[in-house]
Amino acid sequence: MMSNGKVVRTRPSFGVLIVLPLLLSLIAPIANASVAQDEPMGDAPEDIWSDDYINMIFPWASANEPILQFKQYHTYETMKTRMMRLAEDNPDIFEYHEGMNGGTNARGEEVTADAYEGWYYGHSSPWLKITGDVQGGDYNPFVGDNGNYEDRHDVMIVGNHHAREWMSYQVVIMQMEVIAFSYDNIGYDNDGDGLVDEDGWGDENGDGILDDDGDCLALAAEYQDSNGDGTSCGPGDHGVDEDYSEQWITDLVNSREIYLIPMLNVDGNIYDREVFCPAPAWETCPSGGWRKNLRDNTFTGVTPLPDLQEEVDEDCDGVDLNRNYQFEWGAPLGATGPLIPGTCSPSEGELDGSNNDVYNGPVDDKDNDGDGQINEDHVDGKDDDADGVTDEDWWGGNSEPETKFIQDMTEMNDDVGDGASEFKATITHHSYSELILWPWGHCTDCESPDHAQLEYHGQQLADMTQYANLQSSSLYPTSGDFCDWHYGVHGSYCYTSEIGTAFHQHEDDVDHIAVRNLGTGFYIAEIADNPRELADLAIANISQQNYLKEIDESDIPAEGDIPIDICVSNDFPYSESNSMIKWRMVKPSRLQSDFGPREWATTSWESVDLMAVDDGCTVSNGNGTVLRGMVPVSETATGKLHYKASVSTLSGSDLYQYPADGDYYVLDLSYRAAYGSVFGSMFMFALTAGFVWGGLAVCLRMMLSDEEAIDLTAPEEGA
Amino acid sequence: MSDDGDSDQFNGRLGLIFASIGAAIGTGNIWRFPRMVGANGGGTFLVPWLFFLFIWSIPLVIAEYAMGKRSRTGTIGTFRIFAGKKFAWMGLWTAWISTAIGFYYAVVSGWTIKYFQLGVTGALNGEGVDTTEVWNAFLQNPGQVIFFQFLVIVLTLAAIWKGAKAIEKVNFYLMISLFCLLFLTLFLSLWMDFSDGTLDGALFMFTVDFDMLFEPEVWINGLSQSAWSCSAGMGMCITYAVYMSKDEDTVLNAFTMGLANNSISIIAGLAVLSAIFAVNPDPLATVTGGSSAITFLALPEVFAQAPFAPIGPLFMMAGFFLALSFAAMTSMISTVELCVRNFVDHGYEREKSVALTGVALFMFGLPSAIMWVKLDANGVAFPEFLEVQDHIWGYGLMFSGLFIAFSIWKYGYLRWQSGVEAGVAPPGLKGYLGFGVSAFRDDFINTGDNDLEVGRWWDLLMYLAFPILFAVLMISYFSDMIANTEDVWNPTNPRGLGIILMFWGVVAALFISFNKYLIRRPLYRNIPKGAEVDISTLPGGDDGLVVALGEVAPGFEHLSKDKSGSASLEAELV
Repeated sequence: MMSNGKVVRTRPSFGVLIVLPLLLSLIAPIANASVAQDEPMGDAPEDIWSDDYINMIFPWASANEPILQFKQYHTYETMKTRMMRLAEDNPDIFEYHEGMNGGTNARGEEVTADAYEGWYYGHSSPWLKITGDVQGGDYNPFVGDNGNYEDRHDVMIVGNHHAREWMSYQVVIMQMEVIAFSYDNIGYDNDGDGLVDEDGWGDENGDGILDDDGDCLALAAEYQDSNGDGTSCGPGDHGVDEDYSEQWITDLVNSREIYLIPMLNVDGNIYDREVFCPAPAWETCPSGGWRKNLRDNTFTGVTPLPDLQEEVDEDCDGVDLNRNYQFEWGAPLGATGPLIPGTCSPSEGELDGSNNDVYNGPVDDKDNDGDGQINEDHVDGKDDDADGVTDEDWWGGNSEPETKFIQDMTEMNDDVGDGASEFKATITHHSYSELILWPWGHCTDCESPDHAQLEYHGQQLADMTQYANLQSSSLYPTSGDFCDWHYGVHGSYCYTSEIGTAFHQHEDDVDHIAVRNLGTGFYIAEIADNPRELADLAIANISQQNYLKEIDESDIPAEGDIPIDICVSNDFPYSESNSMIKWRMVKPSRLQSDFGPREWATTSWESVDLMAVDDGCTVSNGNGTVLRGMVPVSETATGKLHYKASVSTLSGSDLYQYPADGDYYVLDLSYRAAYGSVFGSMFMFALTAGFVWGGLAVCLRMMLSDEEAIDLTAPEEGA
Repeated sequence: MSDDGDSDQFNGRLGLIFASIGAAIGTGNIWRFPRMVGANGGGTFLVPWLFFLFIWSIPLVIAEYAMGKRSRTGTIGTFRIFAGKKFAWMGLWTAWISTAIGFYYAVVSGWTIKYFQLGVTGALNGEGVDTTEVWNAFLQNPGQVIFFQFLVIVLTLAAIWKGAKAIEKVNFYLMISLFCLLFLTLFLSLWMDFSDGTLDGALFMFTVDFDMLFEPEVWINGLSQSAWSCSAGMGMCITYAVYMSKDEDTVLNAFTMGLANNSISIIAGLAVLSAIFAVNPDPLATVTGGSSAITFLALPEVFAQAPFAPIGPLFMMAGFFLALSFAAMTSMISTVELCVRNFVDHGYEREKSVALTGVALFMFGLPSAIMWVKLDANGVAFPEFLEVQDHIWGYGLMFSGLFIAFSIWKYGYLRWQSGVEAGVAPPGLKGYLGFGVSAFRDDFINTGDNDLEVGRWWDLLMYLAFPILFAVLMISYFSDMIANTEDVWNPTNPRGLGIILMFWGVVAALFISFNKYLIRRPLYRNIPKGAEVDISTLPGGDDGLVVALGEVAPGFEHLSKDKSGSASLEAELV
């Protein structure tokens, strides 16, 4: 037994050693299976997208430039430098400006360029004019910009009315970067998943899910809320609205004049950053910061105490720019504002001066219409004094360089010369609260004439950001804000987006919040042609009915042009003369194996007119009309026919695209002509055969006769 | 046999012709030609294609034959003699390009044999056979691909092991079989196409579209098809000319070879197009679409619908792919022989050289066989490494042609200069044009062995047309690539231009620096007895190390002693 015991204690026998791996291999599947059960279902981000996309490394700058990568905030200086850089690099679409030239404004006042310079630091707001061929078109001597075209609709996008609302200019800068990068960069794969333009902003297919291509939803659950806002696959998360169409952005830039003003309140922003809130601002001013501009309220003589040092008096100085616009300025008293309009005295119980945060500027004591009375007809669209003239002697407002700048830019942009402002849609970014707001702001329980339409577009904006969609005054009443003025005075559909969850949002959040809000500025640009009609047709579910017929090979006629049909609802006010089919023929060259849009981006689109034809068609809510374009493709052409439709209405909505958002249909086009003529081919056959086979026969004959000769001589040589 | 002394010769004229035709006819005639016809307007394409046969291919083949017949060495020796000692590397380049192409050509040849096997066993015929699946399954199975690549190399080595006479015999039988098989396929194709009462395919192939005739791309494609399919400039004809009998007619041979090459193209083109037009609703898209893999995807589908089922499809499938594999094999033989000849020229034993070349072909072909086999957007497998190799070396061939032209230009200039010194040639430009330009033709082509005298036209083509066409081809290819390839200059982009220039640059630099070692070795010329092969007027003619096979090079007596004593040479002499 001892010996037995010894054997047991010694090394395992050779047999065991051999069997051991076998045993282990038997266990392995079990172990694997248990691991597999623990593993969640779904992909990891790196299974789908590029590392750059996952880490929000944007393609317009290298990874080690934190400001350009939206890992840090821009300052006034870096923003200005970047704007100038992009304008220099993209001279075909960007034109850089600061302030305006001035001249005689729409109210007949003589204005000089320094009227737009901030009170304290003296900078005018920098801005970009963005449109296709920006150096062409008309020159506007007052504004100082080129690229004014009668048929392009003007859009104003404004950030940073309020100095401390830093995300409000970051979002505008993001839009600027995206335009610069995307213009004519058709088919760029933004997320590196190998697909292009597969998920634009908002819910394209109408299923209520923002992730149109379903890639975010394919992720394992723990990856679906990458921005940590508690919503899985919501806006700003990986894979949501991540791959917009560069063609669509290009179309937009070519058909709109975009006035991009990232930082309106330069004075206040510098003061907030450099003086009021020492860096990092999100720690020193988590819930506060400087809001207004830097008007010296003592200097203007309203407050009694003189400000000898000419420094900013934080208890009193500054005007809230978004209360300073002229429409319903200072009224009604229900609005938040100083107890006495035109003063900056703290209200009772608010010794810290917080009430001053919404000071709306000095009362105007001029007799604007020169009738001996002052302030008798306030700007509200009504004829308060019943003298037959409206709004001719205002109470106050538009007293600040920044608001004057907005006022004159709005009123001096009249490309068609009809006396009305060109801006039909505008957006102003603010923070925070995650809201989309629209007029009215000055009255509660009131609705504007465009209430339903404003609400409709607001809902589109709210859908793509998952913000709440509200009439402005439902939050709290305000008077003299940008949107009430834009809508009230100029009829422009104006939206206020309240971005994010803090004034000084932590810088770690800049990138994903900017991404989340990127689509809104583009949406506003899109609807700038005729926002009211667009909303009407959409609310009545008319424009959604139209469709471009996708044709297949059986629809191709044996000869002649190829008809492309679009079926429009009979309720849709199409304009034949301004609608068209756009098409191009592409064919891979010897070297092209990838037939994606990038390869074809340089092939320009041609267009043919649309004509209504007698064939009826059916749309889902009734009968429709067929508009047909005849695409002139020769019978011998082969390759791929790309086609899409661009439809206008009689009232000038001009960017209905079918299929939507810069996409197009593809038709494989085969050879349609006869393959040859009997006579011609017989002739060519005879020619070729004569040359090749005849020539070969002659050669062989000569050769064989030589061979004989050699054979004859060979024995002689050998002998 | 002992008549020939130490040299290795073809038995007769037909042998040389069949070997040359075998070299010229490759897969390019059978699968590339029909595609080019389809993509370039049918009969329209025949016009430039025929034009450039006479403008480019045949003149270049004449030059190759003339050089090889005089130098009696492979490409390295030929350039050493014809372009001078400093330029032996040009021969090395020529040999390398052809060998580098051979690396992956063996793989492609293997595919054709595999498809013959599939055809014979009926694996491509059945109901519901997805040709893409068959193709993917094959290509993604490294063992299979390597097996057939190996098979090709073994067969090739067996064919050339014994030298010229074996090559001659193998090529003869393969070429005759190829003719027969192609005619069989053609017959079935025309039957298929005529079953609906029209001969669409034939009609298309011979109808000229006059609008397209003026498109430059058609002409460029015609030129490139002619340049590639004839193997002109590849050095094949230099190599085979080494085995020519002493009074061979180079010009007639060149014409015969070129015309035979095009004859096969027409037959193959007609067979493929007729079959596709017979069954396919969109034949042009089928012919022109995609890569060369289409041969293995579309044609089996078409052939499966041949008449007289099940015998017809079986015959058609097997016949076509056997013909294709024969075409590939004969080209493979010439590729290997080109390489082997260069070794033998420098004193290596034939058997050793053959074995060495075989091993190299196999080893260096392996990556092309199995590396980077990917799926394209349509789910079709393609061997990316192989395609990258083709991308890199394909156009290197053009330089081999340029080097041949360079030798001719150089010879003309030197000959005129020495003529002027000796007082036999008139000086000045007129003298150069009269005496120098025609010197190569006078001295090496019109030697009296030819039935056909080559006229002034040949000089014109070599001095004028060749450089222009060379430039057109290179510029159109490169500019097309630059315009259509992203990141084209990045040398790590396998589809870019950067990688081509990098590889060419490195190889050329390597070869140029290697030149001095090359010319230190003796060069043994394979001279048939009684042949007039004086090289004293040539730039490399005063090279003492260039000797006839069996002679002793000064300073290398020890080598030749070993050699004459070797059993293998004895055996060859018997």
